[in-house]
Amino acid sequence: MREVIRLSLTLAVVGIISASMLTSIHGVTAPIIAERQEAEYRQALELYFSDFDRFETEQLDDDYFDLLYNSSGKLIGIMSTIQQQGYDGYITYNLAVDSEGTILGLLIVSHTETPGLGDVITTAVYQEQFVGKSFKDPITAGEDVDIVSGATVSTSAMINSIRRVIGFIAVNYLGQESETIDITQVPNGTYQGSASGLCGPITVQVKVTDGMIISIEVLEQSETPTYFIESYPLIPDQIIAEQHFDIDTKTGATMSAEGIIAAVRAALSEKKEDQSGGEEDNESE
Amino acid sequence: MEKLLSIIFIYILVDNFVFQRFFGICPFLGVSRKMETAIGMSMAVVFVMTLATLATWLIYTFVLVPFNLSYLQIVTFILVIASLVQLVEIILRKISPTLYQGLGIFLPLITTNCAVMAVVLLAVRQEFSLLESVIFALAASLGFSMALVIMAGIRERQELAKIPAALKGSAVTLITAGILSLAFLGFKGMLTL
Amino acid sequence: MKVNNPYLQDLTQGIVKENPTFRLLLGMCPLLGVTAYIVNGLGMGLAATAVLIASNLVISMLRNFIPPQVRIPCFIVIIATFVTIIEMVLQAFQPVLYEALGVFVPLIVVNCIILGRAEAFASKKPVLRSLSDGIGMGIGFTLGLVILATVREIIGQGTIFGPDPESAIHLFGANYEPMALFAQPAGAFIALGLLLGMVNVIFKRFNI
Repeated sequence: MREVIRLSLTLAVVGIISASMLTSIHGVTAPIIAERQEAEYRQALELYFSDFDRFETEQLDDDYFDLLYNSSGKLIGIMSTIQQQGYDGYITYNLAVDSEGTILGLLIVSHTETPGLGDVITTAVYQEQFVGKSFKDPITAGEDVDIVSGATVSTSAMINSIRRVIGFIAVNYLGQESETIDITQVPNGTYQGSASGLCGPITVQVKVTDGMIISIEVLEQSETPTYFIESYPLIPDQIIAEQHFDIDTKTGATMSAEGIIAAVRAALSEKKEDQSGGEEDNESE
Repeated sequence: MEKLLSIIFIYILVDNFVFQRFFGICPFLGVSRKMETAIGMSMAVVFVMTLATLATWLIYTFVLVPFNLSYLQIVTFILVIASLVQLVEIILRKISPTLYQGLGIFLPLITTNCAVMAVVLLAVRQEFSLLESVIFALAASLGFSMALVIMAGIRERQELAKIPAALKGSAVTLITAGILSLAFLGFKGMLTL
Repeated sequence: MKVNNPYLQDLTQGIVKENPTFRLLLGMCPLLGVTAYIVNGLGMGLAATAVLIASNLVISMLRNFIPPQVRIPCFIVIIATFVTIIEMVLQAFQPVLYEALGVFVPLIVVNCIILGRAEAFASKKPVLRSLSDGIGMGIGFTLGLVILATVREIIGQGTIFGPDPESAIHLFGANYEPMALFAQPAGAFIALGLLLGMVNVIFKRFNI
């Protein structure tokens, strides 16, 4: 019995000494850690917004938007912290946007993309192509920004995410009109458009009657079949039901879903321009 | 439900603890020489890992977090694992001597198996719920077991193969593990949480 | 070459003859897990060395007070304490390294080298000898990490001292297409296997 007491006493003493040591060291390092994290974020803010005075944080799901004001209370820009599904886990990044809706900078906070391939998103060369783009730009792979081969999923996930975030910021915080297509203004007819999905172009045929999308058909795609069924016909059905493009694409096949939406958007926006030309033709007849 | 299934699939195939995350390499190299020992070790790991995750999750959520002591997690977790291993050893000896004979010699090795520590730490860091944590531990340990059994099968045949003298032993085992890891790379990116 | 000084002997033993990486094959998880970059490998090595030295010292000092029946739990608590201290210090003062090493920092606690040395050496030998054993083993482990990391970073990334773009040196110019396999888990296993083979040949040649 005495032996048992002696043993447990030794263990208890070792445990107590250990715990009290850790508690005192934690007391020293915890404020340093908190202070450093804040200082780092402030530094990142000052890099893009030299004259900011204070900020307000707004949260949307897992994304944060810090609205930055200068000393006279004017909104000078927005720093967003976004979580985006990459190839292998989540990519967290900061996007700095000025009050005109132009991207000032991109900063990858953390990611778990494949070393040597997907981690190209952390390079300055890749990030710089976004700087100076605004919500008015297409920010579409192959048009004004590039996909990196060998890292298709990581890089196009970033492109799509940035396009969505900047659109969201422009509409919600900067009071800009989003250039969404007003479906009710689209004349009756059948339209075709395409956009890139995960594995290649997706082409869709959209039928509009009385200012309503009544059917969406995918004519051509080369998506992975097991993934594609997750977004088709689910996504077209949602577009038809809600009559806008702001659809939750967090399915198992985000890239294909976004590809379909982009294709429908392309179909309607391009045809609208053609239509105006077409009407002139009609008049001359 | 969907999340639970993804966890199972991910931690057995996509993010296999041995081939993709480098947890539990020491026992992987140490006990994969014979199929028999590999299976014994696998069963012991599945058993302890699942129990340890259950115990540490409860302690973390109901003791460490409420009292703001989460910085003590390393000390607490390793103690829980060590005493759990002891406890399992004692109980097993009493209840089922045959099972004890099978698993007994592997149990002490598990305390320093970093796969067990990794699984309890990751369960907390990824903010899994209790059920998710247990499923995660089960899947991770099954993934570990699968790696161990595959390796043991290969090594039993390698005994008969002609191998350059310099590469004999661990060197060729590591290279084999590398090729297996390459095969598992095919699952990468298929599914994420 | 015969060394008579026991301290020097303890020191060199861990670096060459009983090198934990290439001879004893201990501490494999961090060895493979963090060696995509030299900086991370070095950081891991130094962190583990610090824990090893501190735990060897304390355990050797307490070796006459700890009853043998409860020595393992006591060792574990002591080691875990130092690991937690290292984790806090890294998080406070080396955040980039802390992020890069990730879960492998707390996993130092289950590194077989540390508990192994506590059990086999520090719990039996006087303080100063345990200290030199800790330093020797630590250097040996760090050496293993740095060698593997150098091979992997040069082949897998084409750089040294990455990933921080300010310190990274591109060895083969910007147009070099690195062999990404070596940055990945599969490459880690293969590189270590080949290195082990090389070390075996060298050791046999010089009869160490």
